[in-house]
Amino acid sequence: MFLLSICQWVDSTRLSAVIRQSNWLFSTLDTIHTLGIVLVAGTIMLMDLRLLGLGLRSVPVTQVVARIVPATWAGFLLMFLSGSLLFLSEAVKMYYSPAFRIKVLLLALAGLNALIFHLTIYRDVANWDPASAPPARAQLAGLLSLVFWIAIIAAGRAIAYAPGYDLG
Amino acid sequence: MMASLLPAFEWVQQTYLGETIRHSAALIALLEIVHLIGLALLIGTILMVDLSLLGLGFRGQPATRVARELKPFTLLGLTIMLASGPLILCSEAVRCYKTPAFWVKMALLAIAIAFHFTIHRRVTLAEHPHARLVAVLSLALWFGVALAGKGIAIFQPA
Repeated sequence: MFLLSICQWVDSTRLSAVIRQSNWLFSTLDTIHTLGIVLVAGTIMLMDLRLLGLGLRSVPVTQVVARIVPATWAGFLLMFLSGSLLFLSEAVKMYYSPAFRIKVLLLALAGLNALIFHLTIYRDVANWDPASAPPARAQLAGLLSLVFWIAIIAAGRAIAYAPGYDLG
Repeated sequence: MMASLLPAFEWVQQTYLGETIRHSAALIALLEIVHLIGLALLIGTILMVDLSLLGLGFRGQPATRVARELKPFTLLGLTIMLASGPLILCSEAVRCYKTPAFWVKMALLAIAIAFHFTIHRRVTLAEHPHARLVAVLSLALWFGVALAGKGIAIFQPA
């Protein structure tokens, strides 16, 4: 398999070996990764609560977006960089982990949901900016986002616990 | 004093609840997922309130209002954590007992909760000259709790 040979090559690099063989490096990356995802999920939950009309109801939606999205990106950067390095350290193991594949798929879906939201209903935010309860399509985007991010956390934990495919 | 607590930790771990959770990887994973979601909700809402106290919040929105609107969600996050945390503890009580990070986390958690419902609460109810200092302390305490929590998983007892 093409993907498998790439993962085998990644595992054979020096960077991969350095991270894999250093307890403190792996643990530090793991800690940064967890903090990153807590920051991403925490800020996105605030956004979702606003879109669902449950929290921060008196703050206009554009203000919530302007204040929270930079923090979300900061968390995402931490999460993505540390996550990539963690992946490099055990690429073949991730290749055989169903939970890892599900997590990547969920990340793509969460990104797609955010993209669709920004390209469609958010374009006409001027019409519903101060409304304490945004229109149904914005609420749907908020709900989907909440579900995706909870599922991403779950899939991430499952990588550590769930057995992989038969390694033969 | 700590030595006298060991039997209690041993007892908790061998109860039906402790044994059941300990022998189920799925149950432990599920509890950790719930615990992390509670943490995200808690940290996200507290971060927003503390940024508001620091003057980095929403334009024209006083920290008192932001705090009032987010309070139910902070409490929800804390409740989720306090419900799932002790169950995780039951499953590995003796290992936690022997891990310094666990005791650091419990101490920080006690201080963070006491701080949150007294001093922090006061500066979010009305404007206060020391609001910025309180916000910084609040963030330091809660991130400390989160880091020490991660430390329990990383540092195995000698």
